[in-house]
Amino acid sequence: MKSRDQEYRELFMAEALEYYDAMSRHLSELERNPQDTEALNELFRLMHNLKANARAMGFVDMGEVAHKMETLFGQIRGQERTFTGSLVQLTFGAVDTLGNMIRAVGAGQESADAHVLLDNLDRLIRGEEPVQAAPEQTTEEADADAGRKLELSDLVYIPVKKLDNLLNLVGELVIDRDRILTLAAELGNAALQTTAQHLFRISDDLQYSVMDVRLVGAGVLLNKFPRVVRDVAAAENKQVELTLAGQDVQIDRNVLQLITDALLHIVRNGVSHGLEDAATRVAAGKPAVGQLRISALTERDDVLIQIQDDGRGIDTEAVRQKAIRKGVITAEAAALLDEEGVWMLLFEAGFSMAEKITDISGRGVGLDVVKLAIDSLGGQLRVSSELGKGTMFTLVLPTSIAVKGALLVELDARAYAVPLLHTDTVLALHADEIFAVGGLLMTRVQEENVPLVPLRQLLYVEGDEPLPRATRADLPADDTLHQVLVVSYNNRRLGLIVDRFLRQQNIVVKPLSKPLDTIDLFGGVTLLGSGQLCLVLDVPALTRLFLTKRP
Amino acid sequence: MNKRILIVDDSFYMRTMLKNMLTDAGYDVVGEAANGQQALEMAVATTPDLITLDVILPDNTGLDVLKGIRQQQPDAKVVMCSAVGQETIVNEAIENGALAYIVKPFSEERVLEIVGGALQGDGPRA
Repeated sequence: MKSRDQEYRELFMAEALEYYDAMSRHLSELERNPQDTEALNELFRLMHNLKANARAMGFVDMGEVAHKMETLFGQIRGQERTFTGSLVQLTFGAVDTLGNMIRAVGAGQESADAHVLLDNLDRLIRGEEPVQAAPEQTTEEADADAGRKLELSDLVYIPVKKLDNLLNLVGELVIDRDRILTLAAELGNAALQTTAQHLFRISDDLQYSVMDVRLVGAGVLLNKFPRVVRDVAAAENKQVELTLAGQDVQIDRNVLQLITDALLHIVRNGVSHGLEDAATRVAAGKPAVGQLRISALTERDDVLIQIQDDGRGIDTEAVRQKAIRKGVITAEAAALLDEEGVWMLLFEAGFSMAEKITDISGRGVGLDVVKLAIDSLGGQLRVSSELGKGTMFTLVLPTSIAVKGALLVELDARAYAVPLLHTDTVLALHADEIFAVGGLLMTRVQEENVPLVPLRQLLYVEGDEPLPRATRADLPADDTLHQVLVVSYNNRRLGLIVDRFLRQQNIVVKPLSKPLDTIDLFGGVTLLGSGQLCLVLDVPALTRLFLTKRP
Repeated sequence: MNKRILIVDDSFYMRTMLKNMLTDAGYDVVGEAANGQQALEMAVATTPDLITLDVILPDNTGLDVLKGIRQQQPDAKVVMCSAVGQETIVNEAIENGALAYIVKPFSEERVLEIVGGALQGDGPRA
């Protein structure tokens, strides 16, 4: 992982080499035409910048040479002297010396002693002749100069827009690649199949290389928070100690961009609602200073960002009552929710835990912006909390936005893709593992009752009418296995009954275009290798649909 | 709301260092301009709370840029940035409404002190 010092060093080097090349060029121009004010201005500016940057890096000699050169070019610009005679020779030598110094930095070596050059530059500035018109140079060095290689900077700067474009192109390429693979298999031509396999590997490498270029350290965002927390804590009159961790965890720059507001909201919320003031904390036997921790970590292909406080925790009953009062949920539905289900209500539109609206935690805008941002990325939000002990929010984010791992399922001979981020587990259930409760089919998954619903019913049946009440009698009497894909969203699990599982593969999701983009059950569309279009299921929307239509 | 800052400097290295210092301290760097033309355009487009302005730029002097910015936005808060040796321009900049100047190479504390002071409406200072 690159440290910031190392990053500065690389930036310095890249720019210094650029400056050096430009100096050499402008110096030649100035030699040809001493009246070339543009070249003169540029030389002055470049020396000025190199001086400032070298001093900031602590390269004293380099800064000094550049400083004296700047002064000399300033004198020429101010028409106190002309670019002639010994001055010409000495400045060429000085630029070469700067070049050597820069290269020495790049190679991690000490640069040669520069005091002779510095003395001579001083003499020139005072209007005297340099002691030795030519800088000391042995034949060996002269040979080395003549045979010097041209060097270009090792670093390029790329606007994010260009990277976006590159990623889109790779996405298109991957789709065509899959198509060619399938065609090759269908045609059964061995040579074509070998070439297609090769194409597969290369484009896979290309895709990961492009994704890799877009990664930045999570610290880019996390490091903004000390100030945010300080401000909120001051405004709320609270004592907060913030710890950051995982700044080096790599994540796509655009993913980070998309969650900036969400994270800001959660952190502000944590300070203003999660943590208590000092007096309350002390009364509760806690240290006066509240702890807030923001950390990033990698879990499989995802990046987790966790915001943890040691505050009062979520009062589940208060949230439940308030959600009912605000009309976010009916009393009946609220009564059925478990603890985690209630906590997720915090992220519903129209719910705002603060009784009074403050500047800090937003003006009526609640944590629902958090859910919107995470959903748009196909991410997940988890909450855990213990009353009196604290709360932890976890954002589960994809490392990259371009390519998603997905599970392909089949329903009536048609393939649908479900992003892996929302898949929990797959089950093949015998009829006796399924039971019916309150008109719903259920099964046990890891000690938890998970409702089952035929995907067919969610996708095919229009209108707002509740789903038909299900009983075990609906299940076929034979011993067919029921294929169930358990998806999860907001701590809530739902078993979708499908015809069969096809395979797992990486897909490039394209948004649905108008007028289909208003159908929220589908997060987009992807093209399979067979050339077949495949709809990508939107698990949050499916879950919501199920909740509104459950019998 | 974090204070929004526009950085004007023709050195990418300088801009990066300034940006890191400012973002670490919780400011939002809303733009980075590498020359006078960009600086004027971005000052209009982003209406920052504060502009850090390098004295020597490729297409223009920082002084001209300062005048241009203050013509567009008379209340714009501008802090000059310069390595030693440009005191004349800096003094002229202060006379033309710049609030303070930062001497390169700068320390993080110094930058934050001057930027913070300028944002709180301190008068000219060095």
